[in-house]
Amino acid sequence: MSQLRKDPIVGRWTIIATERARRPAAFVDPRSTISDKKKCPFCQDIASKGLYESHGVKVFNSGTPILNDSKPFEVRRNGLYDVAHSYGSHEVVVETPEHIANMADLPPGQISRVFETYALRMQTHRKNPFIEYVLAYKNYGVAAGSRNIGHSRSQIMAVPVLPMRVTDKTNGAEKYFDCHERCLFCDIVSQELKKKERVVVENEHFVVITPFAARFPFETWVLPKRHHCDFADGIKRYEDSLAAIMKDILLRFKIGLNDPAYNYMIQTSPLKKLAAFKDSYHWHIEVMPRLTRVAGFERGTGFYICPIPPEMTAAFLREVDIHA
Amino acid sequence: MPELRRDPEIGRWVIIDSDHTKTPSDFPKEDNTPTGQAVCPFCPGREYKTPHEVGSVRPGNSPANTPGWLVRTVPNKFPVLGCDGALRKESHGIYDQMTGIGAHEVLIESPDHDKTLTDLTKEEMQAVISQYQERFRQLSKDSRFKYVVIFKNFGSSAGATVEHSHSQIIALPMVPKTVLEELKGAEHYHQSYSRCVFCDMISQEYQDKERIVVENNSFLAFCPYAPRYAFETWIIPKGHSADFAGTDEATLAHLAQMLQDVLTKVKKVLGNPSYNYYLHTAPIGYGHSECYHWHIEIIPKLTRSVGFEWGTGLHIVPTFPQDAARYIREA
Repeated sequence: MSQLRKDPIVGRWTIIATERARRPAAFVDPRSTISDKKKCPFCQDIASKGLYESHGVKVFNSGTPILNDSKPFEVRRNGLYDVAHSYGSHEVVVETPEHIANMADLPPGQISRVFETYALRMQTHRKNPFIEYVLAYKNYGVAAGSRNIGHSRSQIMAVPVLPMRVTDKTNGAEKYFDCHERCLFCDIVSQELKKKERVVVENEHFVVITPFAARFPFETWVLPKRHHCDFADGIKRYEDSLAAIMKDILLRFKIGLNDPAYNYMIQTSPLKKLAAFKDSYHWHIEVMPRLTRVAGFERGTGFYICPIPPEMTAAFLREVDIHA
Repeated sequence: MPELRRDPEIGRWVIIDSDHTKTPSDFPKEDNTPTGQAVCPFCPGREYKTPHEVGSVRPGNSPANTPGWLVRTVPNKFPVLGCDGALRKESHGIYDQMTGIGAHEVLIESPDHDKTLTDLTKEEMQAVISQYQERFRQLSKDSRFKYVVIFKNFGSSAGATVEHSHSQIIALPMVPKTVLEELKGAEHYHQSYSRCVFCDMISQEYQDKERIVVENNSFLAFCPYAPRYAFETWIIPKGHSADFAGTDEATLAHLAQMLQDVLTKVKKVLGNPSYNYYLHTAPIGYGHSECYHWHIEIIPKLTRSVGFEWGTGLHIVPTFPQDAARYIREA
């Protein structure tokens, strides 16, 4: 019997379709990355100056930016509709001077610097009065929306509006806090650590779970055990610990699922509302391999069909031997 | 200069990426011509390969589960939700879950393996639309269900796994999130203005004109001001109507004509792309029919939604809707 499960944060229902459940091995991605070092723009660019540079991590303005800040942000009315020219910035974080494709293969120290860089860029953008949110995310592999360059990088986008899914999450967390005077994510962490069935791996400061109402097969969340609403501030002194657990989970994907495309995204409190969300929100990272396609039903309803229960994907990922 | 646009019904911002605008020829072409008739379980004469039909249009009154049908609806052999049993709700600590009760049906749109919706005759297309409504009405009678979704995945990159032309119907024990968001936004708008936000959109579309694709007596097709996807197109009844189930026969015939017309134009402009469409209508037994307005959203599958979009719900669209509308209109 399949199940309907509700995400306690945004209230989205997911169908866990056990009737057509696939075994974890059925998701193993047959493709792998092709890479040619000589054609890599990030290897060629090694000498050029970025917006920021530290220990082999370099931040550039995106060569194909979707946003720019050449004019101040202003929302106009167009009858019923609202419009603004698309203010903001779009940056590429080149994570290593070496031609390595997958973040999973970087040394933990290097991964730690990447997260440190996200935090620093967020602090910088926070000073801009027009910027409401900073998104740090990664597309790895063609199916995840990346060009097949084979050089590990991620992206930062500073936007002047609050994205829909961010408000969904903060609204859900606030509602829960109003009822219980507790952080929803702290409650998730403690319930998951008690039951363990959806825990993939944990260390002193972080736990990786497959969420109860997963949208995608092998969707995982990296949650800090310590409550903090803001990534940039909350990460201080814990960069190494986060890097270690990120490397761990990315290696589990790479080895267990044969180097699949994946995305991750840092979910943090709206920048300008840290005081409002201090108690109710809890930063975290969503990591997902791209193994299935989103079809009409999901697009039209916002209702996802996940073909495998998250308890099963957690068990599969737990058993991957990353030291092999 | 790129633009940020916000839709009035749910308040979602999207980015129109005008610095890298894409015209129809910039998207990769797909060949979605059907080829695999030999083993197709949806072809006439293989009725035994599907579960027993739950609905059909049979002009010659041939018996169920035999050839002679124009349109045939069968339960999905691999349903995402099962329809046997009671709806049981329970909680596990902070988590909520329900038994996966629902219905999942496949509506085979033509006996002819080589035909897609754009190849159907007027009568055949009308049979498809009237079967939509027939199944919708039947499933709405089940008290366990709150919502019925009618949708189509055409082409493998839009998620179709069988190439024989078909749509799907899923009945759900709750109202899905995207619809809830629309309902909430529309109710909120109605509280402020005592008008339907969709009716107001239609009148603004007539004023602005540039996003209109085509119209007939009962329907308007337009590219929404703040789309989520390139070439996203909506078909909406011109008169206020919350519930698809209540649409009369003459209007359904207009819908058949409009849907086929738009799909034909989209095919012409974009070279037979994969696409999805789905019908958004009021939930079963909805009490605020003055607020909501049913419609069909058609989404050609041209770009991949990437990490950024699922993580934020902030969509980046490479084609302005007024340009998309012009291309489709002039096709």
